[in-house]
Amino acid sequence: MRAVVIGAHLKRDDIEPIAEAVPVGDLFLSGAPLSDDQPLGDRDLLLRVAALRARLLERATFVAIRYGLAVRSSEDALAKCAAQLPRWRRLLTEHRSKVEMTVKVAASDARPRPQRRDFTSGADYLRALHGATKAANVDPRFREAVSRMGTARWLHRDDRSLECALLIPRDDVSRVQEAGQQLKRDFPDVPFLLSGPWPLEVFADDHE
Amino acid sequence: MVEKEQELSLLETLDHLLDRGVVIAGEATISVGDVDLLYLGLNIVLANMDAVIRTTDKR
Repeated sequence: MRAVVIGAHLKRDDIEPIAEAVPVGDLFLSGAPLSDDQPLGDRDLLLRVAALRARLLERATFVAIRYGLAVRSSEDALAKCAAQLPRWRRLLTEHRSKVEMTVKVAASDARPRPQRRDFTSGADYLRALHGATKAANVDPRFREAVSRMGTARWLHRDDRSLECALLIPRDDVSRVQEAGQQLKRDFPDVPFLLSGPWPLEVFADDHE
Repeated sequence: MVEKEQELSLLETLDHLLDRGVVIAGEATISVGDVDLLYLGLNIVLANMDAVIRTTDKR
């Protein structure tokens, strides 16, 4: 058995039969099965995992695991995740009825993006991309309006945008989408994208 | 416009898959072809913002 991990869940029933359930301590990992010779970078696999992620979220909220972790057995999963299990259990219990939504907004004072041709190494280019992430800012009135939509965490993700992760009750998704439409009317000159619902991603990290 | 929004939705989905959630230490670096996924993830984030601005400008 080999599976690329999608998330950590409280119950087996939250996973099966949509995806494979891998017991890990008193929790379960959801996984998409793959053959031994199938590369994790396979495009069709990426799209399949993305679709499974959405279907699993319809069932119940889970802790999202960043794409790229593959496990071969429960023992393998336990060896890789044991240290995280108490925290995941606490997060899953505390936020079971909640989901994340994301507001991505274009910066009002964006710095030009570093150009690949200006760098002699890929590592220097990546460092420059990361370094540019603190340059972005947005209209403070827009920022305040978004922050009122839920429990908010603002993040600098790249050189031209900021992002706000909102933790909201599942039942409030429609309310937040309507609030997003109102934001478009109130701030017609601010390019932004409201997306979700998503599993626990930003709020899965206590240190954000 | 519908095509742009579908492109945006796919980019956003891949952005979340590749660049969000808990990172488990010790996982191998993986690649799509010769492109490291970290690099791919960053470019999806940047392409995503391009798509947000293009789609918003067309409103």
